[in-house]
Amino acid sequence: MTEVETQAEREGEAGRMEKLAQWFDSRLGLSHQFLRPVPEYAINPFYWLGALAVVAFVIQGVTGVMMMLYYVPTTAQAYSSTQFIFQSVAYGSFLETVHLYTAYAMILLAFMHLMRGYFVSVHKKPRELMWVVGMLMGLVTLGFGFTGYLLPWTVVSKSATDVGVGMIDALPQPISSFISFLIIGGGGAGAELLRFYDLHVVVLPAVLLVLLVVKMYLLESHGVSEPVTASPTQEGKRRLIPIFPDVSFYLLELAALFGSLMLFVAAAFPLTLAPQYTPQLASQFTAQPEWYFLWIYQLLKISAFEEAGLPVAISVVSVIIALIFLLPFIDRGKTRMIGQRPKYTTLGAIFAAEVIVLAYWGMVTPGRVIPNWQAALVLGGTAVAVALISLVLHRLIFRRLVTSSADARKALAAPSVRWASAWTAGSFAFLMALGALSIGWLVNSVSQALLGGSAEVLATLVLSAAGLAVTLLGTLYLLYRLDLGTGMIKRRIKAFEVGWRE
Amino acid sequence: MNRTARPADPRVLALLALLELLSVFYLWTLDATSLQGQRAFALILSLMLVSFSMISYVYRTERGGRGVSRGLLVAGCLLALAILFTNLTL
Repeated sequence: MTEVETQAEREGEAGRMEKLAQWFDSRLGLSHQFLRPVPEYAINPFYWLGALAVVAFVIQGVTGVMMMLYYVPTTAQAYSSTQFIFQSVAYGSFLETVHLYTAYAMILLAFMHLMRGYFVSVHKKPRELMWVVGMLMGLVTLGFGFTGYLLPWTVVSKSATDVGVGMIDALPQPISSFISFLIIGGGGAGAELLRFYDLHVVVLPAVLLVLLVVKMYLLESHGVSEPVTASPTQEGKRRLIPIFPDVSFYLLELAALFGSLMLFVAAAFPLTLAPQYTPQLASQFTAQPEWYFLWIYQLLKISAFEEAGLPVAISVVSVIIALIFLLPFIDRGKTRMIGQRPKYTTLGAIFAAEVIVLAYWGMVTPGRVIPNWQAALVLGGTAVAVALISLVLHRLIFRRLVTSSADARKALAAPSVRWASAWTAGSFAFLMALGALSIGWLVNSVSQALLGGSAEVLATLVLSAAGLAVTLLGTLYLLYRLDLGTGMIKRRIKAFEVGWRE
Repeated sequence: MNRTARPADPRVLALLALLELLSVFYLWTLDATSLQGQRAFALILSLMLVSFSMISYVYRTERGGRGVSRGLLVAGCLLALAILFTNLTL
């Protein structure tokens, strides 16, 4: 064969390959950009907490499918098949441990993703629906935890699930029956286990995948949210980076480190299987839900919410969750800066702190009923402490923003301004403390009043309501004074200026 | 200078292949049902993932024309050593 013939043959082959590639490209659009590029400032782990939760979900899927090969979802064999995975299947104990720890990590990452999103205002226009879809994904994630925990059929898991089912029974009637039917089925332990298994391995993964696709579509439509910084982002940080290979490799790095951490924890703290569930053993055991439900459980253990007060507590929790769901339609201010949203950031910090405090408290006081005064003191104290920290941080941020110019620094150094600043900070601290305590006592006294309270309860109710009213009026007054000083008030309110000198 | 065009040294590739073979052989010898074996398996996988993330980091930053952070590389190496040490002590 001559050299010219070989060259022609090579060219022909290359042409055929090119044509084949073009055929696929025209049908599948491979050369088009699938995902929009990402700004450089998003190369930051905090921007990818949700993506890491998805990585955890994938690990869950892989390890879960492996365990499904051996697991039998019947009350007679659930425990023994789990035990078989632990003892006889190659790397079975490792699979179980990694499955459990990545489930914990997924819930923790989802919570961190939620709180980060809250503080940096990702819920604001035009990402309202992303927030709602994300919240739904969070609930599905909790559903994974709830349904999966029962499957080993240990005394710990069955008792914890019974606590959770008991919470559902306390919901208002149509909702309670519907959820009970959905998760327990026709009744009996066998039906419950099978229903939980179906939900865990079929329904919830399918729902989560659909929600994930919707969220990805919305993310693709709106892009990554802008960073929340005091000054406009540097132009260099706005440079767009293609998804492949740069961002993909970055995500792979994060995923690898996350996987490494999970494996390390699994090796350091391997799981041990608790004893099998029997009603006799369960009666000797103090039921305690998993850590991610402990905050709700601890709330329900407050003596005011015991027995008949349970619906009140469940309603309080439901209202909190509903408020978080509807946040984009409540917090509609345009500013996204943390320093300019003191109310919402303080509320968010109080919520996160209360959840952590309640969960820890629930962990160290299993099965113990919490006296009302203790609950008011701990919850009120936490709220006050967090509010004060938030106030100090806001003052610092505010001061840093204002003192950016030399003139402003000089003006702030004047004794009268210093005195006014101290007076304002003191008043805010007092109002926040009063507000937190009033809310604590108000919730307590309302729940007691619903159970048929005495004159003492009524007096507490009136006093706490008065305290709350004073807090609200005082805050409005203070804000009015501050805004008047900065010239932001357009219409003067005479009622707030009684006794003032012009 | 186009750093991505720099050819990899074949000796490095040979070394990596040898290490990979040794790792696979080591994993193959583990008892897959004992706790010790499973721990070692998890830690070796963990070590591999740390190494992979470091390689990916170096590739990504060099490709973007940015300098590789020595601090991060040292932290990664320390993490890898800590995992190895844990493997020996657990």
